[in-house]
Amino acid sequence: MREAHRARVLDFLRTIQKPDRPLEAVAESDSLVEAGLIDSLALLEIVAFLEEQYRIDFAETGLEPDQLTSVSGILDLIEREARA
Amino acid sequence: MAVALLVRRFGQLHEDPALIARWRSWLGPLLTWLTPRRRRSLLALGALYIAVRQPLREMFPGVDLRAPGGPVAGAIVVVGCFAAVVSVYVAAGRFASLPAAIRSRPQVWLHAAFWALVAIAWLVPDDRGPGAAALAGLVLALPFLLWRMGYLLMSGQRGRVAGSRFGDHLLYLYPAYGGTNTPYGKGLDHLARHEAASEEALARSQLAGIKLLILAAIYNGLLALMAGLVYGDPRGAWSGHGLGLPRLEQMLPAAGTPWATAWVSLYVALVWDVLKLAARGHEIVGILRLFGFNVFRNTYKPLLAPSIVEFWNRYYYYFKELLVEFFFFPTYVRRFRRSPRLRIFAATLAAAGFGNLYYHLLQHDAFVLTLRWAAIGSWLLSRGFYCLLLSVGIYLSMRREQTRRGTAAAPSVPVLTQVRRVVGVWTFFALLSIWADDSAAGFGQRVSFFLALFGVR
Repeated sequence: MREAHRARVLDFLRTIQKPDRPLEAVAESDSLVEAGLIDSLALLEIVAFLEEQYRIDFAETGLEPDQLTSVSGILDLIEREARA
Repeated sequence: MAVALLVRRFGQLHEDPALIARWRSWLGPLLTWLTPRRRRSLLALGALYIAVRQPLREMFPGVDLRAPGGPVAGAIVVVGCFAAVVSVYVAAGRFASLPAAIRSRPQVWLHAAFWALVAIAWLVPDDRGPGAAALAGLVLALPFLLWRMGYLLMSGQRGRVAGSRFGDHLLYLYPAYGGTNTPYGKGLDHLARHEAASEEALARSQLAGIKLLILAAIYNGLLALMAGLVYGDPRGAWSGHGLGLPRLEQMLPAAGTPWATAWVSLYVALVWDVLKLAARGHEIVGILRLFGFNVFRNTYKPLLAPSIVEFWNRYYYYFKELLVEFFFFPTYVRRFRRSPRLRIFAATLAAAGFGNLYYHLLQHDAFVLTLRWAAIGSWLLSRGFYCLLLSVGIYLSMRREQTRRGTAAAPSVPVLTQVRRVVGVWTFFALLSIWADDSAAGFGQRVSFFLALFGVR
């Protein structure tokens, strides 16, 4: 299941990342912002993506930006919300 | 060429393996001894000193400690601030058991408690001795702690305070490394995420800190030169040869500054403000890095930013983060979810507009002590206008940046276009500063000055 989520998340990240930066070059736990792949604006689009695709309501769960800046952080959040 | 190489090497100081190895060999046993726990303990000890000094410093000039009852009032303020911090720590540690109304809006409740105290202080007559003086002192001293306690509460909301050491939170609540009302390095969650866990990481962090401290010294030198040579400030270097360029607070009340002089003054003031903020921020973050917290610097080349939002992100990073975490994201996740553009605009207005204005209102001692709106009417109008313009500028810039992203490779941007973008950003913030200036100039005077820049008198 995590693999399916990963593929979906990576496909989405490719649509919002900065051009000319290979997503695959960054480890799953690395910060995408610190690695220069996305800017802080992209966080908004990640939030919108998670709301639409996974029905996560951040008004209920709270929003921790640092959770959403790495692929592993996003996947952990998806799995956590799926279990809740 | 040699200078460029030197600059590049200096910039990569903390990444140089040979230098890291040498640093480790010089400091060897000290680096081993400085475990994360010991580093935090040292900062916590420093925090105890700040816990006494900071509230007393914030009390002036609103409360005269030399007055009868002054030292008693001072002691009450120090203890009162500490009690507030302990209370928030306890509440954060038991966050899950707080009433639902508080759990859903913890920051609102924190600030409501502060304003309740402000109202009480306002109601108590001034001639009520140490008690009245202490209340006044508390309302002046607490804003320094408010946003820090906010980060503590936020950490509690995420379940990270229960079981944590109070001393670990003290280090950012009363930062021995310095700071303004804006918590540099944010709270413990952020600091811990960037904390050096190994000797090598500590060495790297310390070298990065030394680099920032050197940069701070260079910037302070440049500021002294500018003060003397550009502004003719007697406290600056070589002021006898100064150009005597007027500052904004000198130009605003007096009409008739030559057009070119006014424009030059605005641009130079922008450079001055950036250097000043960078110098102070580098000192604070530099010290943090010496203690192994390798956090982002507060200011990172904003004068090279190609967009307004990028400048905003680089100029005063921790203030921007404060507005984002306490205002932008809470608004973004709750309002206008079906309308993406309105959602971003509302959140931007909440942060760069309302949050920005509110933050500065808290620092306005005269208002916080007296609650007299008339006393701050002119300031409020100008600052409010500034915040509105800033919000609109950031929003439009964000929209433009969003359309530039994607998977397609970006064509290389011609140099002239890059320069044009940077000049555009400089111009925006230089003009915006007309309304951010804290001089006594009225709104009308600022508008007249602005229009005169474009030949309209």
